Amino acid sequence: MILSIDRSIIFQIINFLILVALLFRFLFKPVVQTLDKRSNHIQEEMNKIEKEKKVAEELRLKYEEESKNIHIKYQEMMELANQEAVKIKSKIIDEAYQESEKIKQTAEEKARIEIDKLFTELKMDIIDISTEMAAKLLRERIDTSKQDQLIEQLLEEAISKIEIKSEAQYG
Amino acid sequence: MVSSKKEIVKLITPLPMTESQKNKVKSKLSRIGDINQMVFQEEVDPSLLGGIVIIFGEMLIDCSLKTQLEKMKEGIII
Repeated sequence: MILSIDRSIIFQIINFLILVALLFRFLFKPVVQTLDKRSNHIQEEMNKIEKEKKVAEELRLKYEEESKNIHIKYQEMMELANQEAVKIKSKIIDEAYQESEKIKQTAEEKARIEIDKLFTELKMDIIDISTEMAAKLLRERIDTSKQDQLIEQLLEEAISKIEIKSEAQYG
Repeated sequence: MVSSKKEIVKLITPLPMTESQKNKVKSKLSRIGDINQMVFQEEVDPSLLGGIVIIFGEMLIDCSLKTQLEKMKEGIII
């Protein structure tokens, strides 16, 4: 039965094995090596990408942190600026108020001086007119009889004063 | 002629003085000086308004209404 196996089949198997061996030696191995190399290269690239990704992530986190800090700093600066603006505003309002009060006081003082001046002028005018009128009346009404009375009365007063003074001075 | 010892007394009035007025003035002046040693000079000054101004040596007795009025005016101003 065994002997009955066709020799050609045995040759074909041997050929096949040889072919497999040859294929393995000259085709499969280089292909596998190439694929390994390719795989290694891809792995390296992947590692590299992973590394860069990691670096990028670190950078992103760093920028994010810096951005956050900048934002906080910006907020602080804005807060300070606002406080400063409020202070300046308050100062300007205060200064303006003081200036206006000063102007008001000066104007009031000027007005008061002007009124006083006018009042004094008016008073002087009234006194001058009154004195002038009184002098005119006296000039018209003084006659010898009134002059007699005036000399008597006024001279008596003056002489009495001189006498009193003289007595006080000389005992 | 006036004695050198006699003193000039100037009487200034707004109207010419009557004898009665002169006598009155002399009578009053006799209380403060020797009337016999006085020589009276009269002068009329209408601006005095009334009363009399007597200049007696260095003494000035101003009894004029003009001065009274001015004093009154000063009193009002003050």
